[in-house]
Amino acid sequence: MSEENNEQEPASFVEDGRTDQAADFLRDVLHSMGMRCQVHIEEPGENDDISDICLQIEGPDAGRVIGKRGQTLAALQYVVYRFVNRGGQLKRHVLVDAEGYTARREDNLAAMAERLGQQAIADNKIITFEPMSPRDRRVVHLALAKFAGVTTQSQGEGSERRVQIIPVRR
Amino acid sequence: MREADPRELVLLLARALVDQVDQVRIDEVPTPRGTVLQLSVAPEDIGKIIGKDGRTAQALRTLLSAATSRSGRRVQLDIVD
Repeated sequence: MSEENNEQEPASFVEDGRTDQAADFLRDVLHSMGMRCQVHIEEPGENDDISDICLQIEGPDAGRVIGKRGQTLAALQYVVYRFVNRGGQLKRHVLVDAEGYTARREDNLAAMAERLGQQAIADNKIITFEPMSPRDRRVVHLALAKFAGVTTQSQGEGSERRVQIIPVRR
Repeated sequence: MREADPRELVLLLARALVDQVDQVRIDEVPTPRGTVLQLSVAPEDIGKIIGKDGRTAQALRTLLSAATSRSGRRVQLDIVD
């Protein structure tokens, strides 16, 4: 890892041991679920914070770990998040992926956002997404952050919050 | 093949979510339609198990059903207070 100061890397971040605890907890959960798989700790990606806990699941039961439309994977990520942040400490994000499923999904979402960005410009119309999770909304915002001719913003509250792509006048 | 342990799974998850870990109790009740796991926790921890809009309870049931999907043995989770 670079020693240079990057905007996303507060120099003050020191691993507090929760990454290893999260990986061990996830291994125990998967073991009691009867899943044949391993858990690896990964470095946070370029769009993640340096303090994010990134866990990758691999193995023959990865498909079952992901579940229908990723719902089992989402439930795993949620319980690991709750486990990691149960004390009064600083909250840390948790990303649980299996065989790159989430990474591929987010790549597809970012590519779709760019296509819709072009369409918003071509039609000069606001495009509104279906309600999405905070992380998915962030994927869209980031994908279009440097995209000339549109801005993005979120509208609505809670589970109804949606991203809008808004063409800007040049 | 690795066997799922539904009781162990629920115990592990419940202990990770509550403050009063020693108050987590699971009773296994066999019924004609499968096993029912009755989970009880300290009264002040009930909200932590159920979660906002039942989200935590939903996650527990999702994981329980993924764990038991291969064996075909139905295991139901009841949160008792």
